[in-house]
Amino acid sequence: MPEPAFEIPPAEEAARAPSAGAGDGYQVRLGVFEGPLDLLLFLIRKKRIDIHDIPIAAITRDYLGYLERKTEIDLDREAEFLFIAALLIYIKSQMLLPRETDLAEGEDPRRILVDRLVEYQKVKAACALLREKEDAQILQWKRDFLPPLPGGGEPEPVELALFDLAESFFLLMKRRAAETTRTIRGRDVSVEAKMKELVGLLRERHMIDFLEYFEAHASLEEALISFFCVLELVKSRQAAARQDELFRTIRVWLRKDARGTAAHE
Amino acid sequence: MSDLENLVEALIFVSQEPVTLERLQAVLEGVPAADIRAAVDALAAGYEEGGRGIHIVRAGGGWLFATKPAHDREVRRLLQIERRSRLSPAGLETLAAIAYRQPVTQSEVSAIRGVDSTGALKTLLEKKLVKIVGRKKAPGSPLVYRTSDEFLLYLGLDSLDELPSEEEIARILEEEKAADA
Repeated sequence: MPEPAFEIPPAEEAARAPSAGAGDGYQVRLGVFEGPLDLLLFLIRKKRIDIHDIPIAAITRDYLGYLERKTEIDLDREAEFLFIAALLIYIKSQMLLPRETDLAEGEDPRRILVDRLVEYQKVKAACALLREKEDAQILQWKRDFLPPLPGGGEPEPVELALFDLAESFFLLMKRRAAETTRTIRGRDVSVEAKMKELVGLLRERHMIDFLEYFEAHASLEEALISFFCVLELVKSRQAAARQDELFRTIRVWLRKDARGTAAHE
Repeated sequence: MSDLENLVEALIFVSQEPVTLERLQAVLEGVPAADIRAAVDALAAGYEEGGRGIHIVRAGGGWLFATKPAHDREVRRLLQIERRSRLSPAGLETLAAIAYRQPVTQSEVSAIRGVDSTGALKTLLEKKLVKIVGRKKAPGSPLVYRTSDEFLLYLGLDSLDELPSEEEIARILEEEKAADA
């Protein structure tokens, strides 16, 4: 399973704070970490180790300790964590091998890991700075973000003939057909999952542009399923769709009364 | 306010996307760029000073109007929006990796993060914060991604040059280290 598309930002630091528990006193859920590199950085920070001179044996022991305690990670995530575990063990074995001559500087077996950690650490630090910018911007409303004013003139649910909606869709399919495609089959998408995603997106963006939305979809199959979802939402009066002009794009938004509660069952 | 200021104000007001100096120049035939810039600066300063609900912000290479942060709550009430969600940690991390390493492929982003980033990337595409710019000439011809103009607007950056610099990042890391010690 890929990562969740949306999540409520957890109070990261609070979630990571060690809670009193058994063993060495640290009980941390793996789910709190963005990934194996995040976990490694956490362990390195906890031990106040220099990232360029990691005691591999000790860190490997800690890292594996966390993996053993894991309870709730799914297989894909586990694979990612195990990959780094394997890398750690490999590096450890390389460090143990006797050598006739000392290693030159660039040849430290830890190098591959350190380079990745350093890079990831930078990305994480950049995230903190970008988050500040996001927080500042999110309070300032610009005109391009504004959905139509709610209330009052909310149009009736089926303003749009089914054929218009379908026509837009075929227009899109035609555009797709014109592309020289090189198809590699992706994973199957369920209507249920798509519906959830779509409702989430509508809540978030308040209004979506029909054609643009579908163009962002990787496969025809996925686009088709999304199309059914839109029809379903309109039919169940959870969403409204409107086309201002013939052959123009169609805008879709959650109906006011559905905004709070809209959920597919 | 000078005539030019009034004019520029009107032009920025009607635009839904940032108006660049070039656009203003094209409309205001014959007016020197320096004069236009001075007019915008004076106008922007006026909005910042006095008791105004909106101001002019610089983002995405141009200027546009935005409400002031203090009025967020009431604006949301008008629009009936409970809260604007922020990017998830995974989404932000993926966005940062793309912003700093662009053009990049999905697998390159995943390698930086050590985590499969397909889902997060898709969300960013849907939010139009990143865009596909082509395919890489490599096995499987993977798609290549870049950040979009919306990305600049979303974070209030004038251009990619305004991304936090290496020095700023290094400072954050130093601060973390100091906090640990």
